[in-house]
Amino acid sequence: MSEVVILASNLCVDVRAKKILKNVSFSARRGEVLALLGGNGAGKSTTIKTFLGLMKPTSGSVELDGVNVHNDPAVVRQKVAYLPESVMLYGHLTAVENIEYFLSLSGKPAAESDIANALKRVALQESAWHSPLGGYSKGMRQKTAIALALLREAPILFLDEPTSGLDPVAIDEFNRLVSQLASQGATILMVTHDVYGACHVANRIGLLRDGEIVGMFDAPENGNIDSETVHTAFAQGALK
Amino acid sequence: MSWSDIRREAAFVLRKKSVPLLLLAGFALSLFAVWTGTVEVAQQQTTIGRLLEGDKTDRQEVTHKHNDYGYIAYYTFHLTYAPPAPLAFAALGVRDVYPWKHRIRMLALEGQIHESDTQNPELALAGKIDFTFVIAVFAPLLLILLLHDLRAAERAAGRHDFLVVTARTPASLWPLRAGFIVLSLWLALSIPFVGGAVANSVPIGQMLLVSTVVLVYLLVWAAICYWVSRFNFAAPVLASLLLGGWLSTTFIVPAVGDVLIEQAYHGPEGGDILMTQREAVNGAWDLPHETTMDAFVASHPQWQGKTQTNSLFEWKWYYAFQQVGDEKALPLARAYQRVAEQRYAAAGWVALLSPAALLQRALTNWAQTDARAAWQYEREIRAFHADLREFYYPFLFNGTPYSAASLAERPQFTPNYNTQNYLERSQ
Repeated sequence: MSEVVILASNLCVDVRAKKILKNVSFSARRGEVLALLGGNGAGKSTTIKTFLGLMKPTSGSVELDGVNVHNDPAVVRQKVAYLPESVMLYGHLTAVENIEYFLSLSGKPAAESDIANALKRVALQESAWHSPLGGYSKGMRQKTAIALALLREAPILFLDEPTSGLDPVAIDEFNRLVSQLASQGATILMVTHDVYGACHVANRIGLLRDGEIVGMFDAPENGNIDSETVHTAFAQGALK
Repeated sequence: MSWSDIRREAAFVLRKKSVPLLLLAGFALSLFAVWTGTVEVAQQQTTIGRLLEGDKTDRQEVTHKHNDYGYIAYYTFHLTYAPPAPLAFAALGVRDVYPWKHRIRMLALEGQIHESDTQNPELALAGKIDFTFVIAVFAPLLLILLLHDLRAAERAAGRHDFLVVTARTPASLWPLRAGFIVLSLWLALSIPFVGGAVANSVPIGQMLLVSTVVLVYLLVWAAICYWVSRFNFAAPVLASLLLGGWLSTTFIVPAVGDVLIEQAYHGPEGGDILMTQREAVNGAWDLPHETTMDAFVASHPQWQGKTQTNSLFEWKWYYAFQQVGDEKALPLARAYQRVAEQRYAAAGWVALLSPAALLQRALTNWAQTDARAAWQYEREIRAFHADLREFYYPFLFNGTPYSAASLAERPQFTPNYNTQNYLERSQ
């Protein structure tokens, strides 16, 4: 059994006296994809922000590779690649310039050929590589950010609604990429509304409702989580 | 933080259109201020040169035309002046309020000093756009425009969290961006200054001192902007906060301080001194000679027994009542000076609440264009005038026959005139 890489233990987060997360606990092992499903306001983004060190737990803890994020925030910058829901890279820079800038910022510059390979991998049309991002569609910007995340070669990925704004073909490509990265040893936490996409790529799915984990589904050996079961549970939760 | 971090943020910052534009504005303002300051100083030097030539010619004419010490003392003007220091181009200070040149005669002095001290009050109010003004007032404004949205712009664009999580170290992002902007602005403002300093022969130590102080001043404002930029408010709110602070410390604090100081320290005005002295001098024409001479001998006992006059007009009597007129106005002149010094000291305390005022005070002090430099020049005039009297009185009171050769010993005013003897005598 491989070691736990992402761990939330009895995590509580209050914002202005409002309880956003209530005793949330989950874990993901190396090479696993953990998807947190939940409706709007369920606490998905708060969970990710707490893992990124951007919000502090009121109680409980979050750990990455055995390190408490709030005791040693550097662990996030060293090990995590983060893909926010609405990626706003710099509009006045091209895709290549944006990637160069952010890679340099992360301290891991890449060769031009590697950048080109990553952009090909996310299927961003080559004619757009050297155009300012200001003229890109949301999907194209998302692909650029995914290429950036790939180039970071981070062992841990946090994906916040990663397929939002992508067309169906791009979603399939993205899911394939996620599975590929996990098979190469990356540990991935994604939060999403997309039940079917999550069932397709995740080893574990947690259902988050009103800041609480209300269900956890594990994928069977060599198989996917049954999307109907999750959908039913998700829909019941949404109706409550 | 590495060299590649610096290069990355430098390239990034310079690609934002507003940054090069604001840096260019800073450079242009500094260049304009240095240029106008240099022109102003050059004009003052030219004026001094022209007046020195005229002064020499006038004296030769008077000496040629008259052969009496009384007439020569009456008709001879002596140019006194405080030449601008090399750094004056950068801090013109109060040289437009306090006169820096006079044409002094051996008449009563107080009127000659104070008849011009109400000149140009409008200029004094508005201030001049010299290098000091650009640094003290405009530079913080440029910094606010450059730094207020350091983080807010990224928050508004939804990039803030992404940047924070991606940055290798906390220092490789915001401090680097802010630091690069501050250094760029410092260079944009300092390059024209260094050019002007070289052209005006400013000593290298002073040049470095001013450049360092400007950098420290910018760093203080940058630290304030950096601190405020951390607040989770929209960019316009942050800009308003910073502009409020700038307005308060740069204009409101000095203005309120000025009003409070004016109310706290009362004293005579230059006009009072002028009137007192003139009334004393004019009134002396109607007094018996003995009255004037008795008052004169009281303060100049060495001329006891030599004040007898034999006609309605004698030069020794004329100059004695000029002296007595000065002495009547002297308590007022001293009170005027004392209050001015108290106000200056109080303004120093107010300046502790206003970085802009503190910077202006320091730079004008180093450039010798502040009130203290003006008072020193005034002391030099008084010392020179006292030496003139000391030169002429023996001829006038002893009735020495005129000799043109004796005028070679007459005091000549030179800048930084020795005030030691005068200060000792007047204590």
